[in-house]
Amino acid sequence: MTASPLSQALTVTAYEIRKYLRGRRLIGMLILLALIVGLLVGLPPALGIPYATDPNVFVSTFAGFSGLLVVLGAVLFAADALVSEHEKRTGYFLFPNPVRREVIVVGKLAASLLTSAVVVSLYYVAAAIAALVVTGATTWDIGLSYLYALAYLAAVVGVAFLLSSIFKSTVAATVLTFFLFTLIFNIVSAVLSLANIDPWFLPTSASGIIGNVLSPSPFGGGGPGGPFFTFVPDVTTSLLVFAAYFVAGSILAILLFRRRELSS
Amino acid sequence: MAPGLTASHSDGQPVRLAGLGKDYGSFTALKALDLTVEEGSSLGFLGPNGAGKSTTIKIMTNLIRPSRGHATLFGIDVAREATRALAQVGAVIETPEFYGYLSPLETLAYAGRLRGMAKKDIESRSETVLKEVKLQTWADHRIQEFSKGMKQRLAIAQALLHEPDLLILDEPTSGLDPRGMAEVRDVIKALTGQGRTVFMSSHLLPEVQEICDEVALLDHGKLLIHGSVRDLSRGTGIVTFQATFLRPVTDEELASVGRLPRVQGAKRADDAAVDVRIAGGDEAQAEVLEGMMRLGLRVSSFRPLGSPLEQLYLDRIQESDRL
Repeated sequence: MTASPLSQALTVTAYEIRKYLRGRRLIGMLILLALIVGLLVGLPPALGIPYATDPNVFVSTFAGFSGLLVVLGAVLFAADALVSEHEKRTGYFLFPNPVRREVIVVGKLAASLLTSAVVVSLYYVAAAIAALVVTGATTWDIGLSYLYALAYLAAVVGVAFLLSSIFKSTVAATVLTFFLFTLIFNIVSAVLSLANIDPWFLPTSASGIIGNVLSPSPFGGGGPGGPFFTFVPDVTTSLLVFAAYFVAGSILAILLFRRRELSS
Repeated sequence: MAPGLTASHSDGQPVRLAGLGKDYGSFTALKALDLTVEEGSSLGFLGPNGAGKSTTIKIMTNLIRPSRGHATLFGIDVAREATRALAQVGAVIETPEFYGYLSPLETLAYAGRLRGMAKKDIESRSETVLKEVKLQTWADHRIQEFSKGMKQRLAIAQALLHEPDLLILDEPTSGLDPRGMAEVRDVIKALTGQGRTVFMSSHLLPEVQEICDEVALLDHGKLLIHGSVRDLSRGTGIVTFQATFLRPVTDEELASVGRLPRVQGAKRADDAAVDVRIAGGDEAQAEVLEGMMRLGLRVSSFRPLGSPLEQLYLDRIQESDRL
């Protein structure tokens, strides 16, 4: 009497999603989302700044924050998914069941992707509705930006799972995931740009397509090294970079999680 | 074989450990363990802390990999085909943590679904096992509110959920109060009575004597004894008694006690007490007592230090420590 791997993966997914629904993380994330939307919609009139009349330009302000939302989603719903089974000793309940470790990883990965995707989807729905109300129109480009954000999400979640399978502490996995995508990759990108090397292989550089599809602006601001060019690869390259990070991160996470022993 | 149990290719030995060993760097936690457990029997896996009991159980339940040798359950190598090997196994490893956001009913449903149990079976079995471990009134409460003892009860409930042919229990009464310990022992005894096989680690000898019909003693990663509780309870024929006297004993008197017939050795326990190793049964003990009185020693108490099995256990552990 054993369930099929697919059925087991779906069970793991269902229970992981239940964890997010019952925990404070999803609520916190939704509050943050509401705050961002509220500020983006409410602040311009409060400061006497007129709204953009073009729906793409209007939503591009939202898209500028979607990268951060994606990273926070991965931090909250992916970075501790695997490491917590070891650190919190719940693996002593889960692992002696007749279920393969790769099935557990796949189930958890699906739950992390779905939960984070729901947050990003709600954000884009709010942005599209705001664009419709303010400018009287929405565009397909908004939809494309949304799809690119989901692709970026997959890449970040893949890396978060890899870190979760490596580290022994949930704090370490969570903090490194956050700083990798908000700081470390950006520093590497800036340094490479100064050396005239295009950082096309960095997911944070590729994530520029999320905003560029709405309002192309290839130039970044000044930095300690002077003004620098924010390189954004073309769409095909960017999507391939996202796919590579997702696939490599997930596969390595599965391999490492399978090898990892549960001993205290 | 108990009703509903599956036929296996284990030749009547659901557990077979062959040359099983585990190293952590230069430290050897388990040397080369050879052990089999017969179908329907209950084996108490005894040993002090750090003996290698948990390491063995973790290998058997696929939590860690062996450095050498094989652990086979129902004829299936756990390291090669863990899901098949563990399909008919219920396990409690240490005191597991559960997901705090779930209730016991939801936790059991999770385990049941992973095992492919039908919804109605999960519901009926959950009710039964929660009743068995006296958690039925907590069935819908979040586990985050539970004490260690309650979690241990839940761990036992999830191990029993699918009516496994083999139960692997690592210190199953750990964390329970005396009443809880007695209740869990009764549950395990009932299971052995149904013909299920039990592999149970413990450092509580009386618990093993009460529940198990076989005992294996492990120390420093090495098997020291394996046999039936009945045979080993007869001991080696040498028992240790503690004699307490009305006044302090001199070194000369201690030496005289050591020279009494039937006495294998005498060791000072404190000023007025001596531990005496006696070869033989009741006759020999009476003879030694009379000998002490002839030496002018007035005995206020004369009691055995533990059961023969306990003495055998302590002797072998001490012997193992000396090597």
